Amino acid sequence: MKKNTNNDIKLGIFISAGLLVLIISLYVIGSKQNFFGSNFYVRARFANAGGLVPGNNVLYSGIQAGTVSDIEIIDDTTIEVTLLLNKKIKPYIYSNSLVSIGNDGLMGNKIINITPNSTPASHIEDNGLLMTQSGSNMDQMMQTLSYTNENAMAITSELKETTTRINNDNTLWTILDDTMVAKDLIASVANLRASTARINEMTTTLDLILKDIHQGKGTIGTLLTDDDIANDIQQAVQDIDRVAVSAEVAIRTLDSTVQQLRTGMTTGGSMAHTVIGDTAAANSLKRSLQHIEKGTDRFSESMEALQHNFLLRRYFKRKARNEKGKE
Amino acid sequence: MSITERYRLAQMVHTDGPVIKVSNLKKGFGTRVVLDDLSVELSRGESMVVLGRSGSGKSVFIKCIIGLLKPDAGSIHVLGQDLAALDHDQTDQLRSHIGFLFQSNALYDSMTIRENLEFPMRRHRNTLVREQLDEHIIKTLTNVGLAHTADMMPAELSGGMQKRIALARALVLNPEIILYDEPTSGLDPITSKEISSLMTGIQEQYNTSSIIISHDMSCVKRTADRIMVLLGGKCYAMGTWAELARSNDDNIKQFFE
Amino acid sequence: MTRFIGRYLRELVNPRYEVRAFIHQCYTIGYSSLALIGTTGFIMGLVLTMQLRPSLIAYGVVSQLPVMVSLAIVREIGPVISALIFAGKISSSIGAELGSMRVTEQIDAMEVSGTNPFKFLVVSRVLAATLMLPLLTILSDAIALYGSYLGVNIKGHTSLQLFFSDVFDALHYGDVMPALIKTFFFGAAVGLIGCYKGYNSSKGTAGVGLAANSAVVASSLAIFIIDLLAVQITDLLGLN
Repeated sequence: MKKNTNNDIKLGIFISAGLLVLIISLYVIGSKQNFFGSNFYVRARFANAGGLVPGNNVLYSGIQAGTVSDIEIIDDTTIEVTLLLNKKIKPYIYSNSLVSIGNDGLMGNKIINITPNSTPASHIEDNGLLMTQSGSNMDQMMQTLSYTNENAMAITSELKETTTRINNDNTLWTILDDTMVAKDLIASVANLRASTARINEMTTTLDLILKDIHQGKGTIGTLLTDDDIANDIQQAVQDIDRVAVSAEVAIRTLDSTVQQLRTGMTTGGSMAHTVIGDTAAANSLKRSLQHIEKGTDRFSESMEALQHNFLLRRYFKRKARNEKGKE
Repeated sequence: MSITERYRLAQMVHTDGPVIKVSNLKKGFGTRVVLDDLSVELSRGESMVVLGRSGSGKSVFIKCIIGLLKPDAGSIHVLGQDLAALDHDQTDQLRSHIGFLFQSNALYDSMTIRENLEFPMRRHRNTLVREQLDEHIIKTLTNVGLAHTADMMPAELSGGMQKRIALARALVLNPEIILYDEPTSGLDPITSKEISSLMTGIQEQYNTSSIIISHDMSCVKRTADRIMVLLGGKCYAMGTWAELARSNDDNIKQFFE
Repeated sequence: MTRFIGRYLRELVNPRYEVRAFIHQCYTIGYSSLALIGTTGFIMGLVLTMQLRPSLIAYGVVSQLPVMVSLAIVREIGPVISALIFAGKISSSIGAELGSMRVTEQIDAMEVSGTNPFKFLVVSRVLAATLMLPLLTILSDAIALYGSYLGVNIKGHTSLQLFFSDVFDALHYGDVMPALIKTFFFGAAVGLIGCYKGYNSSKGTAGVGLAANSAVVASSLAIFIIDLLAVQITDLLGLN
């Protein structure tokens, strides 16, 4: 009988030990999966769940905060993920906290990261919807990485070239060092605009004169019946027109450049920074300046040509006189 | 009230008539007929020996009586009750009035002697106090002369002692009928003589009726009130030792030579 | 066999329970196997860890060692190894015990003594085997994981807390529950087959040996078949 009792005690210890191990294991596993204790649910919608499965961990700023409890397809572009979170972290989750899908190590399971947002917002409610960030899925990461590498290579070589050029180019440094350049540029543009206005005015006047001539008014009219002369004049007028157009283009380009320079200055970044950072801006500035140069050259050339034309010489002389008279 | 009295009281109901009445018993295994139209009666206090060659169906006969085997035809009445009409619980109840001594003793070798003897009493355990039970078991063991072995295991005992323990177990519920299946087989002549004396002693002490299957003629001579010779599944001859010993029938004579 | 199982289930629910016999069987079947199954579990955990380590180092994920070992042990190796050891120890002993009881007429003696031998012998043993194997497996798993922890620390160093934190991180109910449930079936199979072979053993000493032998063979095979079914079912249920 004594032996029996001993056996019973041993059996009892054996069974209790087994059950204890089982219960503790189940409890620990359960609490890791948040089956016990007070929890709450939040939802987040993704376009791509990226291999997420129920049971994956949810981290809040890197702390274990809960698990994925459900994944549901809402429509062809939306996957709704329900997260089971520990009540303890509820006060730290705001309705604008960002949810993203990440990896637990390079080969590990998928995890959900909840990151707090710096801007203030209201506390999340139970079953509330959180904002999502398209996370880094492994393939995308790899693709982006190789793309980034290529870019980095191109950038560094260009940067090297640019730096060399900048270093060797004194004028650019002068421009960059002198903020007055910008103001000068603006002034140039204003001037150019005025010139164009004058060209327009001139063309109209010229038109009028030509009409008169056409109708054979005065002695000039008779002279102008000659075809050669008429052609010459027509050529001249076309020239003037072209010049006006290219001047206009130049002005527009210059205008935008100046605008860019101005924003560069106002947003706090130094002008040098903007220009170096944006080779395109530098290029277009250069191009604009060339255009202006070319445009004005052509304009003065045309004017010269017109003045030399014997038929219009008188008109210009009178104009010069009038201007003198005004002064 | 002692346990003995308690059991006796239950048995009072069946005082009249034969304790075992077998009529037209038939039993076969497959195509082989073992018992064919066997009819026999056993009176109270009588002990009957069944003689027969191996395979003549002696064991089958007593196994039918205890209900371990179901007869193919015929009826068996034990203590006035028809075995075929009893349900499981009633069969158990009836069996508690029958002791069965197995040829191989059938002691539970995973249990001590005490537990072996307690085993048939399990059904009644809840009505018994521990002390009463112990007292009863020691008393039963004393009757077979082995009181000191109570806490030993069957394997520690000799063949003769095992046989006596098996007998004690058959007796533990104070049965009215004891069925012995070759009680002296495998024992040396001296031990078998001891067992035979024990059987007759018990017969007197417990006032039981018994059916004994045996080849051991010295045992048969010692214990038998009546002898039945079983041949071809039928009761071939029936009579006292003296009657049969005088017989000129070859089939009978061969047992007595 | 089907009828045997049917009878087992019927007798299992029928009243008059053999509580004492059941407790005794729990002791002999369960407690007595603990040392054996615990030792094999410990060795399996240790060996598995040391075998996996080089491969994981090759892939540079040696920190995943606790994860791999715990999944392997809890999901498959623990239950199956325990069940096989259990089959070897218990199925054979039940087969031999019941076989010899049958041969020496002890089963008949029980019947005559007013005890239902099926209930007393078979039901108690099968039920004990069914309930004890899961317990043994749980303890064996725990011991195996401890062995694995030692295995990790032979070559590297990990704190017990970190190791078990990793282990429990890796485990989910979907890993533990199917593994636990299948051990009940393993246990039942071992008990039923052992009892069936023993209870129906042929007369004679040879019958006893045959009963013990065929019980081990059949129950070992049954364990693998049940394991195969279990993995299909868990797969269908999506618990992987």
